Amino acid sequence: MTRSKILKALLVAAAMPLLYLADASPDAAPGLTLLREAQAIVGAPLTPVSVAGVARRTTARTVVAAETAATSATAQQQAATAQQQQATAQQQAATAQQQSATAQQQAAAARPAGAPAVGTVVNTLPAGCKPETRSGVEYQNCGGVYYRSAFQGNNLVYVVQ
Amino acid sequence: MQSTLSKHVAATLARCGTFAALAGLALVVQAQPAGIAPEAQRLLKASTDFLAKQQQFSAETRNTLEVVLKSGQKIEFNHQARMSAQRPNKLRAERTGDLVNQLFVYDGKTLTLHNPQDKAYAQVAAPDTLEAMLEFARTKLDIVAPAGDLLNKNAYDILMDGVTDGFVVGKAVIEGVRCDHLAFRAPHVDLQMWIQEGAQPLPRRMVITTRDLVNAPQFAVTMTKWNLQPKFNAQTFSFNPPVGATKVDFLPR
Repeated sequence: MTRSKILKALLVAAAMPLLYLADASPDAAPGLTLLREAQAIVGAPLTPVSVAGVARRTTARTVVAAETAATSATAQQQAATAQQQQATAQQQAATAQQQSATAQQQAAAARPAGAPAVGTVVNTLPAGCKPETRSGVEYQNCGGVYYRSAFQGNNLVYVVQ
Repeated sequence: MQSTLSKHVAATLARCGTFAALAGLALVVQAQPAGIAPEAQRLLKASTDFLAKQQQFSAETRNTLEVVLKSGQKIEFNHQARMSAQRPNKLRAERTGDLVNQLFVYDGKTLTLHNPQDKAYAQVAAPDTLEAMLEFARTKLDIVAPAGDLLNKNAYDILMDGVTDGFVVGKAVIEGVRCDHLAFRAPHVDLQMWIQEGAQPLPRRMVITTRDLVNAPQFAVTMTKWNLQPKFNAQTFSFNPPVGATKVDFLPR
């Protein structure tokens, strides 16, 4: 990971609070909204619930700080994995498109101009989503934007497809 | 050392003519010897060794988690959890509460996370020991078992990692059980432990105070019920997806 990439990642992270706050769905439980706000503190992780967690948290910070312009093997691997996953996702998407050209057209037509970028992770779905199964995979169709649920750590999140 | 300090504090207070009732409080605050008191180490080690020897056990816990809002305001979230463990490689934990309603099952091969309310679960192949699985979950999946340190056979090493100071605060009663109250200090966190007195030195309460976060939020767990002779069955450590549950992925860290 190069320095500029790290900087970019940090900038993205810094932009997150706005996203989190903008995401706040009005009907979400107040507790969850508060937690999201708390999570949005840049550089301040959640209260550790294990001593080992504290050590890990510290290590992670140190690694970011110590990383140089030299690409790390791990980063490359991660990138490769991400690419593979992306490729798989693209394949799946392609298959889904072939299998359901009509639905795809509808989705394309209905996808709003300000739709979040593919891969965006949110904690709460926008209002008015409907479950929709495509090629055996369950998605949430939220006004033409498709979300797929996943676990990020202990939290169930939604990834824009 | 403690008595010397106490005498010193008492003398100072007497000189200043401070109200005598404050003296007790002042002693607790100030009588903190530097370094790790051997007795505090011994009591903690006795507890972690005792738990490491138990081949199967279950416990019920009550957790409180403080979260600091951007304004600095502290909010507390409460959970209850029920945990069953069988060494070397089985764990089940169910949590219910304000933020999460979650089942965690580890059968020695696979780790499952299930949110019943969301009708979603995820599974991943996991290492074949409790210790390696907890490490895997924490480092690869960002899943931290609250107070999971205590389950580890090497709990003592994890808890004492980086600890610079420690002392026995005194006797205390947690949920009606007499305990020794211990306090430790590491670079980022303060740790307090309450250990049951007597032949079964079980941990009864643990508080982690995170000093490097604004307003030093705390995570506290009270073990309300311990069972060292639990009755487990084939279902305890296995997961059968309920009808209508969707299998989802773990996002890579």
